[in-house]
Amino acid sequence: MTEYKTQDDPTGRQWTWQDGDFTVYRSSARTGPGCHDNCGVLMYVKDGVLDHVEGDPDNPYNQGRLCPRCLAYNEMLNHPDRLLYPQKRARADRGKNAFERITWDEAYDIIEREMGKVIEQYGPESIWVTQGTGRDINGYGPYMAQCFGTPNYGTGFLSGQACYAPRIFSTALKAGGLYICDYSQFMPDRYDDPRWEAPEYILIWGNNPVVANSDGTLGHWVVESMKRGSKLIVMDPTLTWCAAHADVWLQVRPGTDAALALALCNVIIEKGLEDKDFVSRWCYGYEEFKEHVKPNTAAWAAEICGVDEELIVEAATKIGNAKSACLQWGVAMDHTSEGFVTGMACFDLMALTGNFEKPGTMVAANPVWGMSVTWMPNDRVWKGCSTPVEHPEMVNNGGYPALKAMAATSPDALLKAMETGEPYPIKAMFMMQNNAISCMGAQPQRILPALQNTDFNVVVDLFMTPTALACADVLLPAACFSERIGIAGHQPYALSAIVQATEPRGECRSDQRIIYEVGARFGGKDHEPWTTEEEFYDYLLRDTGLTYQSLRERSWAYPEFEYNKHEKGMLRRDGGVGFATSTGRYNFYCPEMAHFGFSPFATYEEPPESPISTPELAAKYPLVLTTGARKWGFFHSEHRQSPSMRRMHPDPEILIHPDTAAEYGIADGDWVKVENHLGDCVMKAHLTPRIRRDTVSADHAWWFPERDPEDGTLFGVMESNINKLIPMRPGKSGLGASYKSELCAISKAERNPRHA
Amino acid sequence: MHKYLAVDYGFCTGCHTCEIACQQVHGLAPDKFGIKLTQIGPDQLDERRWQYEFVPVPTDRCDHCSYRQAEGKQPSCVQHCQAGCLYYGTLDELADVIAKPKVAIFS
Repeated sequence: MTEYKTQDDPTGRQWTWQDGDFTVYRSSARTGPGCHDNCGVLMYVKDGVLDHVEGDPDNPYNQGRLCPRCLAYNEMLNHPDRLLYPQKRARADRGKNAFERITWDEAYDIIEREMGKVIEQYGPESIWVTQGTGRDINGYGPYMAQCFGTPNYGTGFLSGQACYAPRIFSTALKAGGLYICDYSQFMPDRYDDPRWEAPEYILIWGNNPVVANSDGTLGHWVVESMKRGSKLIVMDPTLTWCAAHADVWLQVRPGTDAALALALCNVIIEKGLEDKDFVSRWCYGYEEFKEHVKPNTAAWAAEICGVDEELIVEAATKIGNAKSACLQWGVAMDHTSEGFVTGMACFDLMALTGNFEKPGTMVAANPVWGMSVTWMPNDRVWKGCSTPVEHPEMVNNGGYPALKAMAATSPDALLKAMETGEPYPIKAMFMMQNNAISCMGAQPQRILPALQNTDFNVVVDLFMTPTALACADVLLPAACFSERIGIAGHQPYALSAIVQATEPRGECRSDQRIIYEVGARFGGKDHEPWTTEEEFYDYLLRDTGLTYQSLRERSWAYPEFEYNKHEKGMLRRDGGVGFATSTGRYNFYCPEMAHFGFSPFATYEEPPESPISTPELAAKYPLVLTTGARKWGFFHSEHRQSPSMRRMHPDPEILIHPDTAAEYGIADGDWVKVENHLGDCVMKAHLTPRIRRDTVSADHAWWFPERDPEDGTLFGVMESNINKLIPMRPGKSGLGASYKSELCAISKAERNPRHA
Repeated sequence: MHKYLAVDYGFCTGCHTCEIACQQVHGLAPDKFGIKLTQIGPDQLDERRWQYEFVPVPTDRCDHCSYRQAEGKQPSCVQHCQAGCLYYGTLDELADVIAKPKVAIFS
């Protein structure tokens, strides 16, 4: 066993104890239901039943705080609609509530038989293995695909892989890895650690962190930083709480933010505010970049973005003069067709001002003790755990160069393959907590028939979702986080244990157990035959010096942490100083982009549909449509059945400026038809001056679990489904999509979907 | 010694955690509140400044989480508040909080 060094002292820390009538279990909520954060929870159990959940005051991640979803976790865990048993349904009955309870063995037998047929007739690559949101499933899903022998694994029907992948891939080409804003989360003493300083400016880029808690960042860390002196610059088409508390709020037209980022760079260079030392010592291609952004003046961006030139200059000046600044990004960046490039432009701004690897700046976030499985597994994790995939080159990446480089799939091309059989058909789906019709899939009106047309579908989920009801032939019940063990992670601050507090309801099993048990019927046979989940996690932890039990004993483990890693030779595999890029430096000039056939510099491009790029379309659909702004009580398509969460958000909403609404005769609370060239849906109007007059902002992922599953509407999934207006079409790199920059028209609707 | 709930509402983000934390420990239905969020704005004060703020207000159902206090714990809303902007204590204990620019005190 290797020796592992930690920052935290676990003395006196317990993973379970007695508190009066309750047995308390300390855990991390990293599995569904809920988000992809790692909040520490204390689960209070009485007579084997979970009574309530509290935040863990000792856990450095959330320091005792907890959001409404985990506080009301019992409403999901013990909901009468939870899936409790494996079920099957005849293929002819897809869409009907005609499931029949079966045993796990029978379920696995059917999967072995039916997937086996597909593999034999069409080859393993005709199976597409998908996941929904990136909770702990991220690390394990690829193993499911590997066992089937298919190279086609990824987010199910998410156009342009538009969740984190575009940003992290494009900025990895720039800076050689994942970099995130430093809110002291790498240190167990947090804000009290003497090494840490609050960022002077936090640049919040199309993100509402306190609601969204994006990508393993707990949004309220921003608020704690504000208490310690951080100031905000916010780019958002909507006035968020953060925007209302910002020094500068840049209310841009959705999809134009790359222009803003380039202009901020231009102003900083024009004013001579760049960090000359950092740029000359650690960056590549600066002189060319300087020339490149010359035309990208504040006046140029002001015109494109629809914000005042003076505000752009002020924001740039503040960032340029700040002792430290960091970028707080979110999924909005990926939700613009060419958002792949936007991340690069924002990183250029950070590099230009030397905001890397210092306290309160962008800090490298590498997997803790190499445990990439907690987040995005590297190619070594599942090596030797099954027969290798025979034809990895068969992966359907749609021919997109960036996806090729990432060895990733193109969900857009895969949907086309389902519709056309080209370049080869997709005949079977294995969908894990992926309610694609309701949530991540664009153009669900195309996805539904595609899913219903396959030979065989397996769906693993917590509830009967519209997707499960539409297409599952075998439906498997997944365990919630209190019902199973696991390892938390995602962002590499610490490893922590997911601890089981209660027996699973019915016959629910963890996603991971389902994966390796199904896998054992395929390529996993005779490889790593894990008989318990503990053995499975011990195998994955084998190089860390920890076992599942020793990790659970100490609850969490924070590795040692240092700033200025690029100066200490801590970023590159060869141990040299600098960044882990092809040039060893931060790439203003990005050779890989040139290799892909793109500009080696970040550039701005209008969204494919916009008042500027498609004026004829805009004449019919004059408003800019942005979608998917996060809600306090929901995580994507989850929680619609949780009474406390639904109380906060009873109906699907669209934000409309009162002046705009008046033009269309729409009053607050009216039902509104939202439509464009692709489709339409209905939403309830919420009139507010927080939104731009030329833009509307619509909820995503709505369905109505209270509906009768027999009513033929798949829980009303197509009625308020804003993704019907979003094209299943990626950016030019294959990454990025148009969820947040489309066009639409609005009119008063004739019906209320809840009384249809 | 009487204890007060102080809200440093300059930092309240309106996350509803206090409402749900209270409902869950007291077994209240989703439409019954021991503490309820109120909203100020969004009100555009001038060309640059907006007031868009939230203030949670305890109701007559609030029992100051007496059973939690007996166990030496903070009221559930105070412990779980995501913004860390709720405080509970005597006026002496709250002196530093009260000195902040935007504070509401509930007796």
